[in-house]
Amino acid sequence: MSTILWQGRPIPFHPGESLASALIRAGVLILGQAPTGQPRAVFCGIGQCQGCLVRVGGRLVEACLTPCRTGMDVFPEDGEHDV
Amino acid sequence: MPQPPDFDVAIAGAGIVGASVAWHLAGAGLSVAVIDATGPAAAASGASDGAVSVASKKPGPLARLASASLLYTRVLSQGGPLAGAFQARPSYVFGQGAAELAAMDALIVKLGQIAGPVRVSADGGRGVLPGLGTGVERLVALDGEGHMPGHKAVRAYLARPGITPVWPARIMGITADDAGVTLDLGARRLRAGRLVAALGVSTPDHFPALPVIPRAGQLFITDRGPAGALPGSLTAAAYLLAKTDSPAAAPLPPVVIDPLATGQFIIGSSREDHGDPLRVDFATLRQLMTRSVAAWPMLAELRVIRAFAGIRAAVADGLPIVGPLPDAPRILMATGFEGDGICLSALIGAEVARMARGLPPSDAVAADLNALSPSRFTPQRQEGRA
Amino acid sequence: MMSERPVLVIGAGLAGLAAAVELARAGLQVLVADQAQAPGGAVHRQPLPGVRSVASRTQRRRWDGLMTAVQAQGARITLAMGTAFGGVDHTGAVLLTGAGARLFRPRALVLATGARERVQPRPGWTLPGVETAGSLQTRLKMLAQPPEGRVLLAGSGPLLLALGAELTRLGRPPIAIVEAGRPLARPLAALGLPLSYLTEGAGYLARLRLAGVPVLPATHLVAIRAEAGALLADLDTPTGRRSQSADRIALHDGIAPNDIGLPDCPALPMVRAGDCREALGARAALADGQAQGAALAARLLGQPMPAPAAEVIRQRAAQVLVARLHAHDGAARLAALPGDTILCRCEGRSLNDLRALGPGPTDRQLRLDGRFSMGACQGRFCAEWVARLAAPDTEKPRLGAARWPARPIAIADLLAAPDETQGDPA
Repeated sequence: MSTILWQGRPIPFHPGESLASALIRAGVLILGQAPTGQPRAVFCGIGQCQGCLVRVGGRLVEACLTPCRTGMDVFPEDGEHDV
Repeated sequence: MPQPPDFDVAIAGAGIVGASVAWHLAGAGLSVAVIDATGPAAAASGASDGAVSVASKKPGPLARLASASLLYTRVLSQGGPLAGAFQARPSYVFGQGAAELAAMDALIVKLGQIAGPVRVSADGGRGVLPGLGTGVERLVALDGEGHMPGHKAVRAYLARPGITPVWPARIMGITADDAGVTLDLGARRLRAGRLVAALGVSTPDHFPALPVIPRAGQLFITDRGPAGALPGSLTAAAYLLAKTDSPAAAPLPPVVIDPLATGQFIIGSSREDHGDPLRVDFATLRQLMTRSVAAWPMLAELRVIRAFAGIRAAVADGLPIVGPLPDAPRILMATGFEGDGICLSALIGAEVARMARGLPPSDAVAADLNALSPSRFTPQRQEGRA
Repeated sequence: MMSERPVLVIGAGLAGLAAAVELARAGLQVLVADQAQAPGGAVHRQPLPGVRSVASRTQRRRWDGLMTAVQAQGARITLAMGTAFGGVDHTGAVLLTGAGARLFRPRALVLATGARERVQPRPGWTLPGVETAGSLQTRLKMLAQPPEGRVLLAGSGPLLLALGAELTRLGRPPIAIVEAGRPLARPLAALGLPLSYLTEGAGYLARLRLAGVPVLPATHLVAIRAEAGALLADLDTPTGRRSQSADRIALHDGIAPNDIGLPDCPALPMVRAGDCREALGARAALADGQAQGAALAARLLGQPMPAPAAEVIRQRAAQVLVARLHAHDGAARLAALPGDTILCRCEGRSLNDLRALGPGPTDRQLRLDGRFSMGACQGRFCAEWVARLAAPDTEKPRLGAARWPARPIAIADLLAAPDETQGDPA
């Protein structure tokens, strides 16, 4: 089965599924930290709220708009940058 | 016939210059009204990158005044109004190609002549600062400058007791007589002993004889990047080329990369003669971005979250206009700073406050201040429009 | 083909594709760009490959009809999926990023970016597990798989009933639907709605009733807390306060045009179509897309303007009635929120931060000193409420002009888009 990696942990996905959808189905709700230190999560689901930002290959992307690809390395966005 | 004054001094314009004048006057015990069409920091002061920079000032009186103002800004930040607004930090000037490298030589000469608080701490290749890209041939690192978001300074200055805010209020007309100045605010008239016109881009509405024009600079803001990676502003030497007596056409865009405390970057800017704050174009933004990324490659990974044009009040000869109008000495001008108000506001606020109290300028800066006098233009004043 | 500059349509939903069909029928070349991977928009979000559609027969008929019309236009309509709209500048240059990245000058622009959900701030609305009803519904449409655990739907509007019925049909009814209005209190007034609204609504209610899903009218979800691994919702009911435990909470307080940061550009003929022009729902979006597309085609080709769409006027009347049936005093409760309620989700700015600005803050003070509407979402989820709180007496509060770009764009993407504007007639 195809998987992405969330902090190194394999997460299965359906072909065409968004990162947000696959992560939620795997029980991953917290995608990072807001500048205030509060947890961030999927909210609007259509690329409007910027709540579901995650880091893929050093870049910030909206998890709700980004389709899963096999082996994609996905990390939370928590203000701790190490690009 | 004139009514007795409501205030000792009225200040038209709640930008950083007007706010500093107000703070100084209120501190001397005068009653002050600050009138603004919109509110505090509504124009250039609110759209600035906040660099308190001497290096970028036009050589001569302006650079010397900026140096004195930087020292005074530091004093005001030591437990004074600018505590929490001003932060000391290093700054950097980079260049590529003969014209920019020559401008950097001239910068070092200029700073040496001023012999003020800004000193060259390093001068070399891009190895001087880790993280620089191939777009940097030479880097000059400076110590002594700092950062001060315009809106924070404005807010701090205007918080002083004795300052009466009057906004939003549009000034329909200005009439001066021997005893004072009357402002027509539409619904009411406001009378003051003197008027300080710190009107920025609105200056021509009331003083059309003064050659002040709006000059737009496209800017963009990124989302958060690695905080602290760039310790201070990174200015292309092309920016210095634009601020000379005979502005040379810069071979490369005059970018300034300014890191904010949030980990965001504000990056500018173009120089265009119009006043539309929402007017941006992809060709210009891509030029600014291309050069910024070549100088600081990590920017490529960041996202642009906003772009706009900061509108500054520019004067034909590149110097601000500060001092009494020759034919209406109860009106004091303090305008036309074209973005330099962030650095100059502390000193100019103090000196214009002295003028408004009928005192002579401080000895150390009197000659340089004189170079900014409105009397250098045709000495005629238009009454405010009806 | 390359010599003919296309009309660019942003949004491959009902309105965008309906407009594209009309433009293509008039003989124009059309490029439709959408950030999603497949056409459909929010309303007709298509199931992923191998997933059974959860759409009703009526919905499927509407979409299939439109797609047939699109296909009939052949090469006149090109779809660029996975392609985001990066804005238009004052010279008329348009930036697309993603799969179909380019910087070019289209012949004209149709903005059909749909609707956005309005969600009123409440304590706890930023907690993980709390999302918008539309967000939950989007995943449902793509995967036909309801979320695990107890789902609570709250807010106001017909979407809550529709989503509740879909969850029920998939075997996981919500534990309750909390509706701030009293839409069923005046059945005679409801009879003024078009028949299709009534049959659709009755179908949802019948399904929910059969499954025993409580629909709580005149009830406000006023706060959410995280407690012992679950979410605890405080409900303000006509008979008093009570708490409801849930695992997921979906909020929805209505829809508005998704038009924040969308440009106006005198250098480019431009129209808006569907919910992004006026949020009237799916039926109006199709008709409005056709009408706007036909009108733009006539304008570009110098032909007489077609008559306005009667269907849009009918749907507007129906939506006014729907809004009246769902009317409630939720907005009046804003000022009574606890001070530490987050208003700006991006930067975590609270009602206390707003009050600290003093009485009557200017737009500039709200933005610069308060940092409201300054985050990456450009105020989509806070500006309306902050403006209302800052100027309670203003009829139509707003908070500054939104700036380019409508959505954040990676600098690398912006630089990577091939520049086709050179040599173009500007």
